[in-house]
Amino acid sequence: MANSNLPRRIIKETQRLLSEPAPGISASPSEENMRYFNVMILGPSQSPYEGGVFKLELFLPEEYPMAAPKVRFLTKIYHPNIDKLGRICLDILKDKWSPALQIRTVLLSIQALLSAPNPDDPLSENIAKHWKTNEAEAVETGELTAFLLALRHKKFPSSHSSLLFANFYS
Amino acid sequence: MTIGSGGSSVVVPRNFRLLEELERGEKGIGDGSVSYGMDDSDDIYMRSWTGTIIGPHNVSAELSLISTVHEGRIYQLKLFCDKDYPEKPPSVRFHTRINMTCVNPETGVVEPKKFGMLTNWQREFTMEDILTQLRKEMASPHNRKLVQPPEGTYF
Repeated sequence: MANSNLPRRIIKETQRLLSEPAPGISASPSEENMRYFNVMILGPSQSPYEGGVFKLELFLPEEYPMAAPKVRFLTKIYHPNIDKLGRICLDILKDKWSPALQIRTVLLSIQALLSAPNPDDPLSENIAKHWKTNEAEAVETGELTAFLLALRHKKFPSSHSSLLFANFYS
Repeated sequence: MTIGSGGSSVVVPRNFRLLEELERGEKGIGDGSVSYGMDDSDDIYMRSWTGTIIGPHNVSAELSLISTVHEGRIYQLKLFCDKDYPEKPPSVRFHTRINMTCVNPETGVVEPKKFGMLTNWQREFTMEDILTQLRKEMASPHNRKLVQPPEGTYF
């Protein structure tokens, strides 16, 4: 079965994620598969994504923690290091992974990536170019995306995301 | 680690499984006799795919005189991976016209009842496996001599 023999480390990490969530981040394992997490990250304040609610999915492969978690955005996002399928270009998810890192640190790094896009290591060449040549305009585009997404979430509340969102805005 | 297997107890969820298949497809498989790619690079759920099969040369090296009618032909197929993939197989249909026992002659749909891999589907099977198996099927005794529609015609 999918959830038998779940390593102790994963159980510990999950408990802590649920009992002491990092600000602006929620992560909860799916019922059918304890290695598969529904993740929600709020757009950091003073970033172009402020006001946006971003849904992600995270999976701990069999080799975890010797291999990095797999993470991607399910919400469309305009960002130089995130491609159209939501795949994230972030060193700690690839060659800079270390078993000393955790789900929590990965999600905090992704949150930080929203505050500080890295146009020198782009997945999306067009957006990176846009960012480099006209940061103000790119920031505006990001803000617009976040705004539209926020509207959509308010209009179609689903699962725990709407709750989180409501708290964030009340 | 091979695609989809992930050991006995770890289940790779649908989306991450399809991302693995996408990356494998992008790198290119073997000698290129089968290949596949995603139709809509904006579809976050990665549902629609196009597969290509290059018709097999002949039945075997020993029987190299027995050629197939499919030799060198290029067949395009559509594969659709729904939300329940890979618990359930994708739906598969030929876009390029073909005369084959497991393919509906009107629609191009690969009939699961006549194509064992879809009937006896297992979670660890991939789109690559389907294409490879269909290619083998083209070279089987009941398919390799069937009269074929003109090349480059579509369902």
